[in-house]
Amino acid sequence: MNCLTKLGLIALLAVVAIGSGCAKKPKNITPIPNGYNGSAAPGSDVSQGGALRGGAGAGPGNGGRFTQPTDTAPRDLGVDPSKAAGSNELPSGNLRDGKIEDRETFKGNTVYFEYDKSSIKSSELAKIAAVAEHLKSHADASLAVEGHCDERGTEEYNRSLSERRALSIRERLVNLGVSASRVTTEAFGEDKPADLGHDESAWSKNRRGEFILLVPPSLK
Amino acid sequence: MKLPSLLQAMAICATVLPAFAAGFDAEISGQAAKSIPIALTGYTGEAAQVLKFDLEVLGFDVVPAAKAQFELKAGSGAEVQGTLVDTGNQHPLFARSYPGGSVRSQAHTLSDDVVKAVTGNTGIARTKIAYKADLGGAKEVYVSDYDGANAFRATEDRSITASPAWVPGRLALLYTSYKGGKPDVYSHDLGTGARSRVFGFNGLNTSATVSPDGTRIAVVLSKSGSPDLWVSNIDGTGLRQLTTTKEPESSPCWSPDSKTICFVSNRDGKAALYTISAGGGEMRKLSTGGILNCTEPDWSPDGKWIAFTRAAGEFTLYVVPAGGGDATAITAGEDPSWARNSRTIVFTRGRDRARRLSLLDVPTRRVKDVNRISGSCSQPSWAR
Repeated sequence: MNCLTKLGLIALLAVVAIGSGCAKKPKNITPIPNGYNGSAAPGSDVSQGGALRGGAGAGPGNGGRFTQPTDTAPRDLGVDPSKAAGSNELPSGNLRDGKIEDRETFKGNTVYFEYDKSSIKSSELAKIAAVAEHLKSHADASLAVEGHCDERGTEEYNRSLSERRALSIRERLVNLGVSASRVTTEAFGEDKPADLGHDESAWSKNRRGEFILLVPPSLK
Repeated sequence: MKLPSLLQAMAICATVLPAFAAGFDAEISGQAAKSIPIALTGYTGEAAQVLKFDLEVLGFDVVPAAKAQFELKAGSGAEVQGTLVDTGNQHPLFARSYPGGSVRSQAHTLSDDVVKAVTGNTGIARTKIAYKADLGGAKEVYVSDYDGANAFRATEDRSITASPAWVPGRLALLYTSYKGGKPDVYSHDLGTGARSRVFGFNGLNTSATVSPDGTRIAVVLSKSGSPDLWVSNIDGTGLRQLTTTKEPESSPCWSPDSKTICFVSNRDGKAALYTISAGGGEMRKLSTGGILNCTEPDWSPDGKWIAFTRAAGEFTLYVVPAGGGDATAITAGEDPSWARNSRTIVFTRGRDRARRLSLLDVPTRRVKDVNRISGSCSQPSWAR
């Protein structure tokens, strides 16, 4: 890719970032300015030539995480938990930046859901409360909540449902006093089942929300 | 046109067209249409295989000449040749030669000509599909001919790639990729290999589809705190939030005039189809005649129909008038995508991570499997 093209792409994505900040404001929701996650470079990888080109080897980060610093630093918006339903914008920065992923600490806290539901069952509340307590006493840590579904829904429906599940867990954490800017969500739909079976026993394990603790390297 | 040939043409219309034109709408919502018997004479090998597949997908039955309404006769040339004859009066409809390209491409072109001559419809034999393939771990996007031939792996990210959607009229896709660790939407030009991230907000970025006029993208984003429907310009700028429900939205598709979006929402508890103006406004529930759990709508290019998946334990394809009404169950399967002829649908069938793509001829209800690559295939999108 030549320099001009590269500059053009960066300019284009800069416009994307600016434009996205100007989205119409829905009622009861406080949008976060400059909510674009990440800089232009990590997303614009290019390879040249040939008739039909795949994305193979097209740039860094195959299967990896975006690690470039973002223009926008996460900040606490002082969200009022009583308005949780209408004030749940996701944090603007990339919470994974420079953090180490810890999947072990909250392994036993995985939250399970009813079929086709995203509301939190009362049996799961204590698991979320324990996560909230840990976050309150570890101010440097942040959290990713992974949402998952069983295979009985259709794929994109499940992707949205799994995000809604992760967001329900996040709302609960915010209600328990965890800053909304410390929790991000990652929706996997039915693409990462915990159990590969095809019966209710497997499905009940797959309808879940998992907690991934994100800690600074120095604490690990 | 001389009078005898005009009469012959009218006779053809009277015998054939009801199954395709005048009666077509009725057949979507009623009884399956009859197939058209055609004989393939003198074809061998790949040409014979391709012609049979193409014509069966479009509602023909390949039969012996004695039982045929039409006969397609091969020529003696090195390239594929065809003379199409109405067996009733032995009147030739055309006689053509197809030099250049591969045998596959020659045979596809001939079958498109047969479809055009008999039904008046533009063929689909030289169109492409894109789909998601689960290779046992990695999930990549593939592009192939509509029959599964010439499959090409468009991504090799060893991550999850999903929900491919063609940019209308271009060799380019939008899809969702987790190569950055979470679902983001990318634009991929298959001609140059150039990729760029279009939506990379925190939370969910998925189900992006381009309007038929190529100017806008409908997409599901959760950056406002819930998976909502958004619309942007084709380059991702000018983002605008269309829905503000707490419950999830999914799977937007466009009306052919690019003015209306049909999508799925759980606003009322169960998944149902809704429409909304692409410029914003109220979301309106689309009547599906009491059928619940409706997902994955796709609007036919002629604007008349919306195909969708009912997900209730099992997956079933339905078709409903675009203005709403009684929905008709067509066949078992999920995730329909219309071809440009508003007649053929590519969809997914099978379960348990051994899914395959199939082609459905809506009027005759005939289903034929697409040639399969290894892996479990789903989420087909038909280029149009």
